[in-house]
Amino acid sequence: MREYTGIVVAFVLAGAFAAANIILASVLGPKKPSPVKAEPFECGQVPFALPIGRLSVKFYLTAILFILFDVELVFLYPWAVVYRTLGGSGLVEMVVFLAVLMVGFFYAWDNGALEWQ
Amino acid sequence: MTDLVTVLPELILSGTAVVLILVARRVRRARSAAPWVVVAAVAAAFSLWAFSPATSMTGFGGTIASDRYARFFSLLFSGNLALAALLSVRHLDSERVQPAEYFALLLLASTGMMFAVAAVDLLILYLGLELMTLCSYVLVGIVRDKPAGNEASIKYFFLGSFASALLLYGIALTYGVTGATDFSAIASTVSRNGVTRHPMLLAGVGLVSGGLAFKIAAVPFHAWAPDVYQGAMAPVAAFLSAGSKAAGLAAFVRVCLVAFAPEQRIWSVMVVALAALSVMTGSLLAISQSRMKRMLAYSSIAHAGYALLGLVPGTPEGASATMTYAFVYAFMTLGAFGVVIALGPRGENLNGYRGLSTTAPGTAAVMFLFLLSLTGIPPTAGFTAKFAVILSAVRAGYIGLAVLAVLCSVVSAFFYLRVAVLMYMTEPQESESARLPLSVFAALAIAAAVTIVGGIFPNTLAVWAVPP
Repeated sequence: MREYTGIVVAFVLAGAFAAANIILASVLGPKKPSPVKAEPFECGQVPFALPIGRLSVKFYLTAILFILFDVELVFLYPWAVVYRTLGGSGLVEMVVFLAVLMVGFFYAWDNGALEWQ
Repeated sequence: MTDLVTVLPELILSGTAVVLILVARRVRRARSAAPWVVVAAVAAAFSLWAFSPATSMTGFGGTIASDRYARFFSLLFSGNLALAALLSVRHLDSERVQPAEYFALLLLASTGMMFAVAAVDLLILYLGLELMTLCSYVLVGIVRDKPAGNEASIKYFFLGSFASALLLYGIALTYGVTGATDFSAIASTVSRNGVTRHPMLLAGVGLVSGGLAFKIAAVPFHAWAPDVYQGAMAPVAAFLSAGSKAAGLAAFVRVCLVAFAPEQRIWSVMVVALAALSVMTGSLLAISQSRMKRMLAYSSIAHAGYALLGLVPGTPEGASATMTYAFVYAFMTLGAFGVVIALGPRGENLNGYRGLSTTAPGTAAVMFLFLLSLTGIPPTAGFTAKFAVILSAVRAGYIGLAVLAVLCSVVSAFFYLRVAVLMYMTEPQESESARLPLSVFAALAIAAAVTIVGGIFPNTLAVWAVPP
């Protein structure tokens, strides 16, 4: 257990440092509230709608296209790790898999899913 | 390469689907895509017959079997696919559905069904059923500007994903107890280690059965069926009621008879409950329906119950009766939906059938044939199939269940033959007689042929129906 003592000390020190800064800022800092400061803040933009609004359907399309390539990567990484032991048959199977995936990609491309209008 | 031979029909169907997806933008009319789907279905059926080994063999590390059981159901799915493609041609053009996408989804759903019946591993079984169901969700809501279809699709999706979760949880629990997902390994581990009464395994059997009962729309997992059949396009409803039910039944029979064979006392109690509830609820609720597709949905719930009767004893003869029932039911429900499709908007309502015998005598006659078969009156295939499943329940000593099934069959005669009375004994409302399109005519002819041949020569099907 002795080797963990350093980690515990580091955790306690880090927590104490963060807590001390927050407490000091709230005690010592000047407070001048204004309506602008009370607004919810979103990446520098002034919010102009309720957070639960309508979202353009184009975002869903992007998300689904993302999943297409995400799933591809999920299978490609383990395949790359064991590539040498799988040999030729592994390569053929992965090429077939990628070809089927590319059919889906081609379908999306062909039907204009990649154009942002 | 021997692995690939075991999945040859699946390869043909999915390959056709991939080609259709590639050329999707160039296909404008359903008329130009449908023949290729029919050709693919026929080629898949031919490959079942031509390239099948004499004995059963397994491929892909013992996860997929190519035995007579799988081939029987794959033949059913090929027929289902071809008939559904023929029936959809007119609907697709009038509802402005993209034909290539629609047919690709039909092909992939059929591929999933074939995988589900060929699977001898719980995970492949799940994969096949999921492929089928995911395609079905889209097919149900494929007419995007129809609110009823969208609603049906959403309901089907939510209930379906819940049922899939049940199935997957059951698979996980079974794996936890036995350490295997392979059917024969599960059975041998259970009987060797004497874990038959293991509570986890009981939960696993129950959850797997529940998940599969959803696919066959057995009460109390039936709630999706009426809304989905009514909201979906009629060809999609026909495809689902025949294919989804047969795939679920096939998977159910194989899981119960092979994987959970040592658990027979547990699942046979569940099957009795499912069958009794389905037969009663389906028959009683169908009486009050005034819309044709909804009535056929409740009728399909009742038929799920009849088909399950054969599974109650857990014998090969009973399983064979269930297989025959699934086959016969697929063709008679496709035929009944085919008549609904042939009549167009008029066919959706019971009142549209008034005086059909004077305006379209041929259509009325085949509808009468399918109604007789659905009721279970000789000399149709519906009678012989129903006779076999009820007989197997009697032989197993479930006299009460058999009496209930016969009584509900009598009740069902009321709402089936009410349509016949409307067709033959009332005056027609409108006198226009529409000509049948050739594709619908062909589909109706095939369905009627199977219904008659199965009724007059019942042994032809029984010989083919070899249990797992």
